[in-house]
Amino acid sequence: MPTTPRQVTAPVEARAIVVSNVEIAAHTYRLRLACPELATRFQPGQFLMLRLPGRTDPLLGRPYALYDTYADAQGNTVGFDIGYHVIGKQTGLLTELIPGQVVDLWGPLGNGFPQFTGKHLACVAGGIGYTPMIAMTLEALGVKTYGQSTTPASPERRVSMLYGARSKSHLAQLHELESLPNATITVATDDGSAGHKGFITEPLDTLLAKGEVDAVYCCGPELMMKRVAQIAASHNVPCWLSLETPMACGIGACFSCVVKVKEDSEDGWDYKRSCIEGPIFEAEKLLLS
Amino acid sequence: MNPLAVSLNRLQLKNPVLVASGTFGYAREMAPYLDLSGLGGIIPKTVTQQPRIGNAPQRTVETSSGMLNSIGLDNDGLETFIEKHLPYLTSLGTAVIVNIAGKTIEEFVQMTERLAPLSGIAALELNISCPNVTGGVDYGTNPEMAFELTQKVMAVSPHPIIIKLTPNVTDVTAIAKAVADGGADAVSLINTVQGMAIDWKRRKPILGNVIGGLSGPAIKPVALRCVHQVAQKVNIPIIGIGGITTFDDMMEFFVAGASAIQVGTTNFFKPGQSQNLLQELKAYVEHTNLPSITSLIKTLELPTVKKC
Repeated sequence: MPTTPRQVTAPVEARAIVVSNVEIAAHTYRLRLACPELATRFQPGQFLMLRLPGRTDPLLGRPYALYDTYADAQGNTVGFDIGYHVIGKQTGLLTELIPGQVVDLWGPLGNGFPQFTGKHLACVAGGIGYTPMIAMTLEALGVKTYGQSTTPASPERRVSMLYGARSKSHLAQLHELESLPNATITVATDDGSAGHKGFITEPLDTLLAKGEVDAVYCCGPELMMKRVAQIAASHNVPCWLSLETPMACGIGACFSCVVKVKEDSEDGWDYKRSCIEGPIFEAEKLLLS
Repeated sequence: MNPLAVSLNRLQLKNPVLVASGTFGYAREMAPYLDLSGLGGIIPKTVTQQPRIGNAPQRTVETSSGMLNSIGLDNDGLETFIEKHLPYLTSLGTAVIVNIAGKTIEEFVQMTERLAPLSGIAALELNISCPNVTGGVDYGTNPEMAFELTQKVMAVSPHPIIIKLTPNVTDVTAIAKAVADGGADAVSLINTVQGMAIDWKRRKPILGNVIGGLSGPAIKPVALRCVHQVAQKVNIPIIGIGGITTFDDMMEFFVAGASAIQVGTTNFFKPGQSQNLLQELKAYVEHTNLPSITSLIKTLELPTVKKC
């Protein structure tokens, strides 16, 4: 297998200080939070729950994936970034955060993407789903490490990032990956205003047909992930999906975020909590609706 | 003497801060966030005799200062619970109150008998009030059935029995009286308030099960009203539940008549909050030299109102 399951550290509850909050694409923001307790534990594909303190509406935390960690001048990992797309009440309020304000967090949560130890990884992202792919790519290419995990480096290893969005204005710049010789970026937009016109699944099909990719990691809208899983299966490439199911707690207590996972039982499946047993699942083990 | 200790008939608790069933998983999930041994008690997720797959997603949705859930008692059944979860729970050094739900009196009685010889269980809490399954809730809305159920379970249980009541009735005191007459050690109230959320643009209910149970700060006034009414009319210890998030919320329940409280939905968005509340309560008791927390219970001073 080109992948290894990740060892993750126990989560913590913490308060973080807003460092910056910048719009990087249409309705898409990058929020930088100072919080060493979480930053030093966070691994690619894991998420945290975030809520605004001192209010009961919005009440619950919302899940956000790790975008990347950052270090201070001494090289100590002191914080991290998350990306968010403004869609509802909480994300709307997030846009109003200014440096120095605080937010409540608990995490890191979930299993994260398996560590990639193969030769060629395809990261397929739709919209805001690109955020976990940044840290994943940096780790796979040996540029950075996260948490306690170390992936054996390999100079031949390559990552193809395939990133789809509605239009050019919805695309975030992938600065972190642009200068990396072993990373290739392919973009698709629905209206053709940047890159391939159409779905990102089309360039994926072409790439996988070459037979070089040994794993696909995907995060994006459910329909897109379903299609990505089909394409990967048709080329016999293992595929992992990062699911975003509605969650109340993110820590396994509420049993809201269940997904159908295949198993040897009478029904052939059981509900599993995507927060604890995921959010990353092997596509072939899921029963997607 | 421990000033935080409370007794609810046969159930003795080292402090009155418990965590509510369905909001704390099987406690393992919460272990990273607080010292579980400090809590007055832990009530794990409802267990049924047979495994239940639960309701189809979407299972929860947030509403103003609250949330609706329709999980549907997703659990692996009593035998798996006893094998997989109970040994961990009873190792934690706190009171374990096993929450059970049955569709019939026979199921409740059989589950109670199965748990009877097991050590480390402080009490059973009977969920006769889940709004998201068919069957069990009838016992929570019909006084005669609630009385009969309580009496039959009491007859076979060596453990103290708590009955968890629903607010979705015309008169909660009638049910509380019935279970008190049936011999229950305590009542816990309230379970969730029935509610609904709609996506009008798609003309669809948001929850997979259409209707769900509302919880969180939004229901605290309903819960306080129920605790108050039962405390005034029925002589049975009460465990107050419903939207408790802050120290003040908790104290309001004691004053209304609750001998203990359960932190519920708050566990979802402040996983360590039950421990914080306990520490604040300890600090209050020390600061005010309160000899016992019990001196706070049901201290509500009612105005003398003339009814017109």
